[in-house]
Amino acid sequence: MKNLALIGLSILTASTLFAKTIEVGVIMPLTGSLAGYGQMTKKGIDLANQMKHTLKNGDNVKLVYVDNSGDKAQTANAVNKLNNEGVVAIIGALTSSNSLVVAPIVKREKIPAVAPVATNKMVTRANPYMNRACFIDPFQGKVAAKYAYKTLHAKTAVVIIDKAQAYSVGLAKAFMKNYAKLGGKIVKRVFITSGDKDFKAVLSIIKSANPDIIYAPIYAPEMALMARQAKMLGIKKPVLGGDGLSDATLRKVAKDAANGIMYTDHFNEKATPTKLSKEFVTKYHKKYKESVPSFAANGADSYFIIFNAMNKCDKLTRECIAKNITKTKNLEGVTGKITIPASGNPKKSAVINEIQNGKIEYKATVNP
Amino acid sequence: MKYFRNLIISIILVLATLFLANKYLDSYLVMILSNIGIFIILAVSYNLINGVTGQFSLEPNGFVAIGAYVTALLLLSNDEKTMQFMLSDPSPLILWMHSSFIPALLISGIVASLIALTLAFPVFRVRGDYLAIVTLGFGFIIRIFAINQDSYTNGSMGLSNIPNEANLISIGVFALISVIVVLNIVYSKYGRAMKAIRDDEDATNAMGINTFKIKTIAFMTSAFFEGIGGGLMASLLTTISPEQFSFMLTFQLLIIIVLGGLGSTTGAIIATFLVLGGMEALRFLDEPNFFTNTAHPGLRMVVFSLLLILIMIFARKGLFGDREIWDKKWFNFKM
Amino acid sequence: MIQQILNALSLGSMYALIAIGYTMVYGVLRLINFAHGDIMMVGAFLAFTTYSVTSSFSLAVLVAIIGASITGMLTYKIAYKPLLDKNAPKISLLITAIGVSFFLENLFNMLYGGVPQAFNYPSIFDKEIHILGAVTNFASIFIAIFTIIVLISVLIFLNKTKYGKAIKAIAFDFYTVKLMGINVDFLILLVFLIGSALASLGGIFYAISYPSIDPLMGVLVGLKAFAAAVLGGIGSVAGAAIGGFILGFSEIFIVAYFPEFAGYKDAIAFFFLIFILLFKPTGIMGIDFERSRF
Repeated sequence: MKNLALIGLSILTASTLFAKTIEVGVIMPLTGSLAGYGQMTKKGIDLANQMKHTLKNGDNVKLVYVDNSGDKAQTANAVNKLNNEGVVAIIGALTSSNSLVVAPIVKREKIPAVAPVATNKMVTRANPYMNRACFIDPFQGKVAAKYAYKTLHAKTAVVIIDKAQAYSVGLAKAFMKNYAKLGGKIVKRVFITSGDKDFKAVLSIIKSANPDIIYAPIYAPEMALMARQAKMLGIKKPVLGGDGLSDATLRKVAKDAANGIMYTDHFNEKATPTKLSKEFVTKYHKKYKESVPSFAANGADSYFIIFNAMNKCDKLTRECIAKNITKTKNLEGVTGKITIPASGNPKKSAVINEIQNGKIEYKATVNP
Repeated sequence: MKYFRNLIISIILVLATLFLANKYLDSYLVMILSNIGIFIILAVSYNLINGVTGQFSLEPNGFVAIGAYVTALLLLSNDEKTMQFMLSDPSPLILWMHSSFIPALLISGIVASLIALTLAFPVFRVRGDYLAIVTLGFGFIIRIFAINQDSYTNGSMGLSNIPNEANLISIGVFALISVIVVLNIVYSKYGRAMKAIRDDEDATNAMGINTFKIKTIAFMTSAFFEGIGGGLMASLLTTISPEQFSFMLTFQLLIIIVLGGLGSTTGAIIATFLVLGGMEALRFLDEPNFFTNTAHPGLRMVVFSLLLILIMIFARKGLFGDREIWDKKWFNFKM
Repeated sequence: MIQQILNALSLGSMYALIAIGYTMVYGVLRLINFAHGDIMMVGAFLAFTTYSVTSSFSLAVLVAIIGASITGMLTYKIAYKPLLDKNAPKISLLITAIGVSFFLENLFNMLYGGVPQAFNYPSIFDKEIHILGAVTNFASIFIAIFTIIVLISVLIFLNKTKYGKAIKAIAFDFYTVKLMGINVDFLILLVFLIGSALASLGGIFYAISYPSIDPLMGVLVGLKAFAAAVLGGIGSVAGAAIGGFILGFSEIFIVAYFPEFAGYKDAIAFFFLIFILLFKPTGIMGIDFERSRF
């Protein structure tokens, strides 16, 4: 008996001795103005790693974080640093701007990479190594246009564009193109700049334009102040936005004024599409004691995509992982079943969320 | 003769080191060295207006932005431009402008220095302190311009897929050229006039020197090299957008030239290595480490700003004061 | 139209409050205190934290004013005075000021995180008031009136009291005042105290009007306030107030009546700056400091 136990123990130790630690790099803004978003995404990635960290061959997956502070030069340094440390894959970066820095470097160094929430279509262009876990802005804009025209029966719209944000510009363009194609009319485009605090002037313009709906593909800090001022000016139109409004700042700052704001998003924890999803949400509540932000869900999915690709490889080389990422088919993820074609852009569904009384209510899922 | 001999030897040494580094070092170090190279160009030229001429200016991020955009627009092909420009179509001027790498950099430098000329007129008429605020504002305006004029700059989308022609060697060559040019200016009659202005502008005026002309020359030269630095940056990162040319860039350069010693070109070079290397090395401050048990993101920058304040209070002259490394009396810790 | 005027009044008041601090410090020290805009941010954050903890807004305001004043006075004592005593060149002071500014921003970034915080305040400020067909809230009216009261108080202080007149004297001739045996150090501290207190009030008002605060909120506002101070004539308190209101009105009106230039509204302040430097560098109230000894 003792001999058997001894043999068993030595085999176990031997396998752990042979089990390597595989490193996956993560580039996120952990400091700087984007730190809030970076921290959100990190929570999702950490939980995903906690849930699944041992590969089929026994190797352990470890995350290596590098902070890019939202800065491009630091992002470039980060990619090179991780490359030197021998990571087999990279999750990152957060914004489309910074992911655009990651893309050419991972293409040159042949490292597979997955961006969790970068929605600008240029990020994965002509790059077999760069992928993403989210939908792209052309799709998000189309979903919004369809929802506005068909479900909300809005025939006229005013579009608010944040000129200082590539995200806003891209998403607005996608919406306007699709909305016009459906027969809707854009009665006015108004421009703001992130950092603006006073929107009463543009709100007066919107009020006199009297549209059926306001499309606001902007970020939460600006929307929060705008919603308050709109309420004060007595503007009672339906508002539809993009995933930039998922940040809790909107609900915290605008409070009641945010009631009724709808937006397209990647995920809503009340509509868990898969079993993994339910498990993730439960564990997330337990670990972080807050509701699951969509950025965390996408962060987790980026991890799962890489993890799944790693499991399909006999030898854990970057080439093999890169190839298998683009062969991902119906992978069970937090945000749904994920399939990634050669383009690197997964076919994802979008959800429509609505804010009511400081909470996110689930309204609908729109499939591609 | 001795000067030329030393010059040739140092040039050959530097070029050889660059060539070997580019070939044998790993990409992380090469990237960091390339960054350092660009910052050397920026630091020695920024030192010219701030340290040598004593005019406190906060202009670098503005001129670097101009240089970066001009170079990027000159290097991108028409197809790329048409594909990338999102909110509005590129204007005809944008589609027309195209050139190869070196001319693009030179044009960027010239454009930057011409803009510096136009700024010099209102600003140098009034003294000292206003230059700082005006150049700071100028940096803001350039950013706002870049965001709003999307038929020229593609607005907040920025420009990507810029041809990566800048590598450690080309950057190193430009750094070498800028250092040699700046040192030549400093040791020339113009340099002496600049230092005189720094020490006592009224007396310099009284001596019959056209201080406005000298200040403008310094300002334009700084702008020229900052424009080139910006162009190299664009080609190195292959993507640029308005938000990366923020005040943070100027602040980093400020720390560098203060640490090296305001007015010392060699000081600026050494300080560039120290500051940029230090910023990477001090990353550990943002993680749980020796001093704190939990992660405090942002601690690194707090430490950096404290460092600047402490240097200003206790070691205001920096490493070399206003002397070069080959001048006998350095390490000026004069309080 | 009335609507825009009301908006402009409250925005102008905030710029004025902060500009006064800039102009007073410049008057006595010839220093552009880059960190002044960040003092405004400190005031807002201190009020925010105190209110979340105690739910007493008056206490929050008090703590903010005291805290900001202490911060301002400390920056003088620790960062500027040592350099002034060593007769350091002006550029060192300016660089140090930038260092302090950066330090404050990053310190609060580290303490509160980079995400904007929701600034809470008593709901009385939200009470809607209808004036001549336009809608505004109690806050805007309160801010405007309060600022005018403050402005008048500061002017009375400077012109009618002993300390105020001494401060004006320092602005005119630093060394002679020292020779007269007046405690210049104390007076400069007083200037920093008043300036910082006003800035923190400006910060609180700003946070009430736009209840999303972040560590970088003081940067742009501070710069614009400085431009306003130069526009009005740096060194002149009345000028700072005038400049502040002019700037506030311009920003609101450009966006309202020329929406295609709305993206440039932040640049207006700097255009004003360059314009005034080109044509009347001493500003609207025109105190020519170059003639005075310093």
